Amino acid sequence: MRRVLGVVVSVVLVAAVGVVIAVRWPHSPGPALTRVSGLIGSEKTEFFNSPEVQQALRNDKLDVHVTSSGSWQMAQQVAAKPTAYDFAFPASSTATSSLKDLNSVPVRPFYSPLVVIANRSTVDLLLRDSWNGVAGPMGKVPPLLKSGQDGAELLDMDAYRQAVAANLTWGAVDPQGTRKDLRGQLLISTTDPASSSSAALYLAVMSYLANGQQVVTDQSGIDRVGPLLKQLVQSQGALLASSDELFRDFLSGVGRPLIWTYESEAAGLARAGKLPQDTVVLYPDTTIQSDHTVVELTKNAEPFAAAMQNDPVLRQLAARFGFRPSGDPQAMVQALGERGTGFAADVTRIGSFQVAPPSTDNLQKLVNAAKGSN
Amino acid sequence: MRAHLTRRTALGALALLLTAVTGCTSSGPGPTDPLPSGVTGSNGPAPVGASVTLKVLGGSELQDMTPILDDALKATGVGVQFTYTGTLDGADAVAAGRADGAYDALWFPSNHYLRLDPTGAGKLLSETPTMVSPVAIGVRTSLLSSLGWDPAKVTWAQIGQAVAAEKLTFGMSDPSRSNSGFSALVGLASAFSAANSALTQDDITKASPDLQRFFTGQKLTSGSSGWLAQAYQRSAQGGSGTSVGALVNYESVLMELNRTLPAGAQLTVIRPLDGVVSANYPLTLLNSSSAAARDAFQRLTAYLLRDDVQRKISDVTARRPIGPGVGPGAGLPGDPRAELPFPGSRAVADALLATYQNQLRRPSRTVYVLDTSGSMEGDRLAKLKQALGQLTGSNDPRGEQRFRDREEVTLLSFADSVKWEKTHQVPQKEPQPELAAINADVQSLSADGGTAIYSSLEEAYKLVAKQQAAAGDDRFTSIVLMTDGESNEGASAGDFAKFYQALPPAGQAVPVFPILFGDAAKQQLQGIADTTGGKLFDGMSGSLDGVFEDIRGYQ
Repeated sequence: MRRVLGVVVSVVLVAAVGVVIAVRWPHSPGPALTRVSGLIGSEKTEFFNSPEVQQALRNDKLDVHVTSSGSWQMAQQVAAKPTAYDFAFPASSTATSSLKDLNSVPVRPFYSPLVVIANRSTVDLLLRDSWNGVAGPMGKVPPLLKSGQDGAELLDMDAYRQAVAANLTWGAVDPQGTRKDLRGQLLISTTDPASSSSAALYLAVMSYLANGQQVVTDQSGIDRVGPLLKQLVQSQGALLASSDELFRDFLSGVGRPLIWTYESEAAGLARAGKLPQDTVVLYPDTTIQSDHTVVELTKNAEPFAAAMQNDPVLRQLAARFGFRPSGDPQAMVQALGERGTGFAADVTRIGSFQVAPPSTDNLQKLVNAAKGSN
Repeated sequence: MRAHLTRRTALGALALLLTAVTGCTSSGPGPTDPLPSGVTGSNGPAPVGASVTLKVLGGSELQDMTPILDDALKATGVGVQFTYTGTLDGADAVAAGRADGAYDALWFPSNHYLRLDPTGAGKLLSETPTMVSPVAIGVRTSLLSSLGWDPAKVTWAQIGQAVAAEKLTFGMSDPSRSNSGFSALVGLASAFSAANSALTQDDITKASPDLQRFFTGQKLTSGSSGWLAQAYQRSAQGGSGTSVGALVNYESVLMELNRTLPAGAQLTVIRPLDGVVSANYPLTLLNSSSAAARDAFQRLTAYLLRDDVQRKISDVTARRPIGPGVGPGAGLPGDPRAELPFPGSRAVADALLATYQNQLRRPSRTVYVLDTSGSMEGDRLAKLKQALGQLTGSNDPRGEQRFRDREEVTLLSFADSVKWEKTHQVPQKEPQPELAAINADVQSLSADGGTAIYSSLEEAYKLVAKQQAAAGDDRFTSIVLMTDGESNEGASAGDFAKFYQALPPAGQAVPVFPILFGDAAKQQLQGIADTTGGKLFDGMSGSLDGVFEDIRGYQ
């Protein structure tokens, strides 16, 4: 009998609506799949929900089930249900230190830089040309935007720090009131730093700037930057738990004008042709690397980590979903093709300065100081 | 042979998929389509997925999602079994651990209040916003020209001025129970205090005079956004109840309501220019959920986020789609509004609510008509004393667990006739002694005699008229009727209806909220609720304590 590698069945149904459905499965029959369950950062939900990714994982003999969770909450979730998950896959390596990894060499298949996302008309208000003498009640503020190399637009994070310290409002930036929906203090919106790594890393960047461009290493540093961090977090009011939620709210018009999230959120949509035309990606000129890291909690996770690390199909799919595969910084923009306009081809070359993160212990203390829960 | 088998299995799967695509416009698996799961260890094609029912604690307004959830069940095998409660009561239940094991997921308009409590936040595993609706104000279209408003350009300040000038009255749900009322209160406090960032205690103090003026125009309150819409509809169709010029509610509820309103009662939906607070309906997985529920949650959320499903959600429910790809449904304007920040701490959120209840809102006049006939003897009377007595306690962080400062509370004990009635004024300051006095009266109730429901109700209405005339004030006035039996003495249902119809407008504006208890006659009580524009509460299937708390939202 002829060996069947893949069976494609297409049936044209002459139903009232005339729907055409194709059912395909290249692996029938094949060996049993290994079921692997894990916690993922919400920014990878679309990636793991995608039929192509699920198929690629099945080709690697894996049946992967994921639940999204804030990266900083994962240790707590795993502790509460020690047998529920085989792996955790948070958005940053900083979030992994409280999780026990069976693998001694961390698997970091891809990364995604932190960015600020805004609408074009909001960014226009921040342009240098229209920024003459803009001041808050507490003083003048230098322009927030810089042009970077490689066509990237950079956000001057220290100028932003000064804007917040000066209590700069949108009213001062837009005195004509051209944008009725911009109201109150000019502030970047983040997720909850207590549960989500993107916001925790935001506090790390801001603490570095507020600490005289030094990584905070001790209590005196925490005390020095505490008031600013408190303002950055508490002025926002209630905070969302995940970056995916923050980004979805922004796209639905119920978010705030400037949101802090991972580049992959916007890039994945751009690849699908769904990113609204007037969306702008601003790269912070001071940032912290965030590596998506697979933490192996059980032996079952080993083939999953290996697949994420080594399977070229999965690496290519990751690039298409807006992540930057480790060691191949240009793969994402190449995967996006003409839809990659506005994304830096190689984020290591745009003139953004990478600072080291504080120790996990100090970062936790910074989060507590910002939330007023220490 | 193997190929043959495979093909047959393929046709079986096709039949399943056929069901799945019914009602969808897409013609096959696309990048946003969910992947059927549940293929573990199997060699054959993927079935649609194991059939799972998610137990969900959620807001009652989600009943309008039924057609979408029916489709979701066909497409994903995941069904939803709802238990309804208010957003803030739901937050309490989760934080207290009462949701653990009882539910897999939550689905409220917002998780903000819940997340402000670290214990509550720690119970949540994952959340996905599913749709959006801002809290707006629907103003009778017929009033717009006399108000001189361009609906696209109205501010909260203008609305406040119109109310203060007695040109506009409105209904709004109880912010201590319902997310729409709470969101409106946050929006109003932000606008009136001109706060540049999330509200603080100082902002609340600053906004209080304007807020108090604004709430003089609140003529209708309720424990849920849904009942508020029904009350407006009933009054617009010539039925009983208080007539108001505007309703504060979700944009979606107002849009849906317009579909059923007569031309003269149509509402124009205004999203104030100075900002709104929106609900994003996060479907939220609980930490305590099982692996099967987690998988089902993933399948259901992926389905709900599909473009074609988002389109249908917006068309059916008048909520706005979440995320990119789909524009708002017909009649939903696209011009953006500032999203006002929700308070960032429980202390501020609760302070705002307690201030509303005890200082800002119109005070209440509340009459409890309590059946103390012989059949109440024993356990029934004990339960009544417990349920009513709990409203005189002292622990009340957000102003919804006890009688409010400035409230006038009358207890009327009846059997074959009225045995006694006593009225208490809860003072603005140091309310505890008066609350204790109410409790002493409650605990003194004793049971004997027959049951004259209608005659006793008539006495209550007469008493209210006397109180209104003597005080010359303007209060939220309502009657609670608690009985365990059928009316077997005194006036009949027909007599009472005639009595009610003969009341002056101030009397007819007083609703009765009957509580079904013991061997009460449901039809009689439902009739009383319908006649007076009230609402029947069930004290038999749930706890009587819970019912007495729920009614507070309507008083």
